[in-house]
Amino acid sequence: MRIRNVVQLHTVNRMQFFGWPLVFMTLSLALVLVIGGLVLGVGGPDAREGMHNGMQWNGAIFAVLGPLIGFGFTAMGQYFPLALGLGLTRREFAVGTSLVFVGYAAFFATVFTIGKAIESATGGFGLGIRFFDTYYTGVGAWWQTAIQSFLVILAVMLVGAAITTAFHRWGQSFLWAFWLTLAVIVVAIAGGLILSEPFRELVGQLGQLPWIAWMGVVAGFGAIGAAVWLTLVRRAQAR
Amino acid sequence: MLDDSKPLFVALAEQIEDGILDGTYAEDAPVPSTNELAAFLRINPATAGKGLGLLVDAGVLVKRRGIGMFVAPGAPAALRERRRSAFAAQFIAPLLREADQLGITPDDLAGMIRKEADR
Amino acid sequence: MTAIATTGLSKHFGDVRAVDDVDIALAELRIHGLLGRNGAGKTTLMQLLTGQVFATRGTMRVLGAEPVENADVLSQTCFIQESQKYPDTFRAIDVLRIAAGAYPNWDQEYADQLVEEFRLPVKRTIKKLSRGQLSAIGIVVGLASRAPLTFFDEPYLGLDAVARRMFYDRLLADFAEHPRTVVLSTHHIDEVSNLLEHVVILDEGQVLLDADTDELQDAALTVSGRATDVDAFLAGREVLERTVLGTLATATVPGGPDAKRAALDAGLDVSPVSLQALFVHLTTANASSRATDVATV
Repeated sequence: MRIRNVVQLHTVNRMQFFGWPLVFMTLSLALVLVIGGLVLGVGGPDAREGMHNGMQWNGAIFAVLGPLIGFGFTAMGQYFPLALGLGLTRREFAVGTSLVFVGYAAFFATVFTIGKAIESATGGFGLGIRFFDTYYTGVGAWWQTAIQSFLVILAVMLVGAAITTAFHRWGQSFLWAFWLTLAVIVVAIAGGLILSEPFRELVGQLGQLPWIAWMGVVAGFGAIGAAVWLTLVRRAQAR
Repeated sequence: MLDDSKPLFVALAEQIEDGILDGTYAEDAPVPSTNELAAFLRINPATAGKGLGLLVDAGVLVKRRGIGMFVAPGAPAALRERRRSAFAAQFIAPLLREADQLGITPDDLAGMIRKEADR
Repeated sequence: MTAIATTGLSKHFGDVRAVDDVDIALAELRIHGLLGRNGAGKTTLMQLLTGQVFATRGTMRVLGAEPVENADVLSQTCFIQESQKYPDTFRAIDVLRIAAGAYPNWDQEYADQLVEEFRLPVKRTIKKLSRGQLSAIGIVVGLASRAPLTFFDEPYLGLDAVARRMFYDRLLADFAEHPRTVVLSTHHIDEVSNLLEHVVILDEGQVLLDADTDELQDAALTVSGRATDVDAFLAGREVLERTVLGTLATATVPGGPDAKRAALDAGLDVSPVSLQALFVHLTTANASSRATDVATV
């Protein structure tokens, strides 16, 4: 199998693959540091404490996570047609791309974990800010961040690839069905929250779920994405 | 470049015959290879090969293994002889037909030919 | 040996029969022409043969095996698609690097030479390239891959006359040096007819003609003369086209030595029909016969 060629297909453009995500990450980290510095200068130690808690929800890390979501889409939308065009088989593409997904998730999980270790050790880079140590990447121990960011990134890429492959196969009608299903789920949850007391309690309990259970949920989404993607890609045709 | 009223390989063979008759390719001298002809005339190598094959079959060219195609000994003379014997049918018959339509007698025609040759 | 053999090969998209019951056998180590008007099914047929789309019906053998998901066959097959999509961020050099790894017979030195000759700006993003430069990428990949089976689908869209000639020259020279099976698909027939050894004409997904180009010299002929003489000659013959100007008429009929002799005996002028003209006659005749079919149903 020509797995190496598929991996090369995704990574040949190094700036695109590693460079820009790291540049975005550095820029948004710098921005958060500047904001932290300003808050500290204006508000003093009290403001620092509030900021440190509030920033558990700091979404600046999505400057990296965002493009990674897109990576799943482009893998299927743009790289798959070229792979077929160069005579690579669907099986080779699927195996090679899965490896790239895993490698990519591992790479950024490592970056996040190292970032978090530094952030914790230096008291938020001396400013009390949070960039890596947030709910999205795990606020627990360092190894939890490593596992959580790895699973989140991998799941997101697999689901992205699955959605794109389904769109590729069924076109606009899939998108309609997809958005409709999503809307029904959102409306059902919102309705449940407003109308049903037991449902509210259930959701409240969900919020108390232990970390490991949440990881199970993320892994579950990733597994569904992987199953859908790998099934559909073997029957995907050039357009 | 090639006469397109005939199959390409026939036209190619005739062109090489012309080259042999006018001395471009002397007796025992090499003629261009299939691939050279194909590249020069922008035609399929198989077509060029077929044209050369026609001349080999007719004994005009000889194949020397590993070296290429050469003008066969005696080929220029033989070609000239063959063309001469075809000359009457190919050129004089149509000339006479056209002359007849215009009311030119064979004698008039002979005079015209001599006059044209003297110019 | 046959490089490509299909029986009853079909690909339907809903009601559209893009490829419809195609039986062809293409011999190896030749340059084949796959001709047809836009939408005749040329691209779909090549996509089937390279496993990019799945057949609705029928069987195919490519380089002796079923091509779909067959890495052994596909690594020996290079398909240069006119509509090939590239990732947004790609540059020509990225494509060439991957092609170099994907094709076992890749010749990097030759690729570099072609890049130079076609003046391909390899470090510019593909999105910013002109149509002709896009075609040049395909030509470089198609030639330098030296794949035993190479498909070129309209390889020279947007190229100027100089670059097109260069493509023909390089193709012939490289074909002579490294014999392989080439399938050249195009609707610009006159320019390539001398390059082809064999042609398949597709129309509305079906094979309209499958013949060696040498035979095609006699496949059809055009006769002209007085309308009465022409019509007398045409009686009982299949007519591909007939036009009348006053008392003169011109007609194109299927060829053969008998037809030629009969026409000459009838005192008509006879001229051969070029591949391009034959193509136009056949596809037009096919369209009008379909129209009549529909009208009579």
